[in-house]
Amino acid sequence: MLGPSSARLGTKPGGTPVRKAGAVSGWSKRQHRTAYWMILPAVVAMMLVHYIPMMWGFYISLHDVNLFTMADWIHAPFIGLRNFVDAFNPSTTTGARALRALLNITLYSAVTVTAGYLIGLAVALLLNQQFWGRTFVRGLILLPYITPDSVAYKVWTFIFQSRIGILNRYLLQWGLVTEPPIWLIGPPALWAVVVASVWKGWPFSALILLAALQKIPQDLYEAARVDGASTWQQFRWITMPHLQSVTVTLLLMSILWNFNAFNQFYVMLGRDPGVAAEVPSTLILREAFTNLQYGIGSALSIILMLVLLVVTVVYLRVLRATAGAEEV
Amino acid sequence: MRPRRVVQRILLYLAVGLVVTVVLVPYAWMISGSFKETLELQSSDVTVAGLRPTWIPRRPTLRNYREVNTSVPMLAYFRHSILISLGTMAVATVLALMAAYALSRFNFRGREIYTVSVLATQMLPGILFLIPYYLVFTTISRRTGVPLRDTYWGMIFTYTSFALPFSIVMLRSYMNGIPLEIDEQAMIDGCTRTRALWTVIVPLATPGIAAVAIYAFIMAWNEVLFASVLTGRVTRTVSVGIMDYVTATSSNWGGMMAACIVTGIPVLILFTAMQRYIVEGLVAGATKG
Repeated sequence: MLGPSSARLGTKPGGTPVRKAGAVSGWSKRQHRTAYWMILPAVVAMMLVHYIPMMWGFYISLHDVNLFTMADWIHAPFIGLRNFVDAFNPSTTTGARALRALLNITLYSAVTVTAGYLIGLAVALLLNQQFWGRTFVRGLILLPYITPDSVAYKVWTFIFQSRIGILNRYLLQWGLVTEPPIWLIGPPALWAVVVASVWKGWPFSALILLAALQKIPQDLYEAARVDGASTWQQFRWITMPHLQSVTVTLLLMSILWNFNAFNQFYVMLGRDPGVAAEVPSTLILREAFTNLQYGIGSALSIILMLVLLVVTVVYLRVLRATAGAEEV
Repeated sequence: MRPRRVVQRILLYLAVGLVVTVVLVPYAWMISGSFKETLELQSSDVTVAGLRPTWIPRRPTLRNYREVNTSVPMLAYFRHSILISLGTMAVATVLALMAAYALSRFNFRGREIYTVSVLATQMLPGILFLIPYYLVFTTISRRTGVPLRDTYWGMIFTYTSFALPFSIVMLRSYMNGIPLEIDEQAMIDGCTRTRALWTVIVPLATPGIAAVAIYAFIMAWNEVLFASVLTGRVTRTVSVGIMDYVTATSSNWGGMMAACIVTGIPVLILFTAMQRYIVEGLVAGATKG
């Protein structure tokens, strides 16, 4: 079973050992009720933290909820889509940065996801070879993944320090720069965050891809070798097709996670990362909890959600169009 | 053939060495920094030959560890994090166990919709929930007098529902691996369904349950976004508190690196102990849904 991506993507959450029709139809109403009682606590918890706040989020985005109306925000004046317009009003700091933030996060995600996937794939292929100490290395590469975000990104902040950081020492020593660059302010900040995020993100890709690699039947490769296939041909025609479904899921998850990125920007660059490294999450957080413009903050977070939705739909469309010919 | 094989082996080990180095360099810098004196850190300068930052501390010191609690109340943050994470772990595990059992064993109406909606919440930006969540709970607190912001219960409740989606999916796929006949056998032998769950299924699913418990603990321990808004003096967690060492007015990098190590250790121990199961769960969560 290597084609589970459709399940994950929500078309059909499959694979349960519950018996088919015959056994189930015999089940009584009481058993249905037991099932509902058992999921009830989880449903209530998620209702209160996810679904209900989300609905109120739409409500808030259409109302003028700010410092003055906050105390009784349910009765804040209805202002239609004005928050959405104001969110992009270039005469305010937020409005001027909103488009830039979307642009920055797109660039950041594109680079981080691609680099994370390619490095993860390379390391997975490497770890799929036999060598001394393989089990140890396989455990070791998970370190970045399990290190708490704030710890990992603070260490990278320390590495990137201009005067006291270890990175600039080597850049100067090897003659790559003549002046120590200031990494965490201005345009380079985005790339500093990319480097740290890739370092933290690739082990997850490697882990998932390695698991998929180990499921490929070895006799396929043996048969290919007998037929005289080169290493590249084996990779292209056996390995890649077998990794396709897992790649689809992995890339989509990485894209969504990276578009939602907050921790790395907040920890490395602070509440205000500056224009060049502003991303939607930091912008929304400040607009709501520093400027106390909850309405505009909500409007922006809904726009972010819509962007994610569009990205997902386009991704799946492109995928279906390209995969149409091949049976995955 | 043979020399070529030798070259291949050498290249292989070089590549492995490169991977290991890339993974370990930041940790080495963290450990090195945690043993350096404040004076050494502050006076180091990449442009001055004698003052370049070094890997080996010039005069190694344990002061950063001894004084980890001096300028920043790290021990208090640590206590808050432990309480919140353990609470999240307990509540999330029980709720996920019940929900996963229902999803795995019953074919009730709405099961598919529920599964999809559980998965969908994982894909949405956290900030989307944060603003309305904050406002709704501020209002509830004002009306009923039950404080949720900056309380242990509020944080445990919040994190529980964040840990639930992935926990449910992970545990369900684990339970799907336990044959249905085992429940049926237990019930034929006179167990009620609840008893069958507790005495038969729970022991069989222990590795899966442990993986979920540790996932929930680590998730609560590491969370930054909600903690930065919802915690205050009473419940500030280590993940947010760690940033207090380097602010506009002080830059205690040595202290921060020591605190980073202290913060990372519980997660490292838990993960190492349960590595096999968590890795299985992660892979299943990403590939089986």
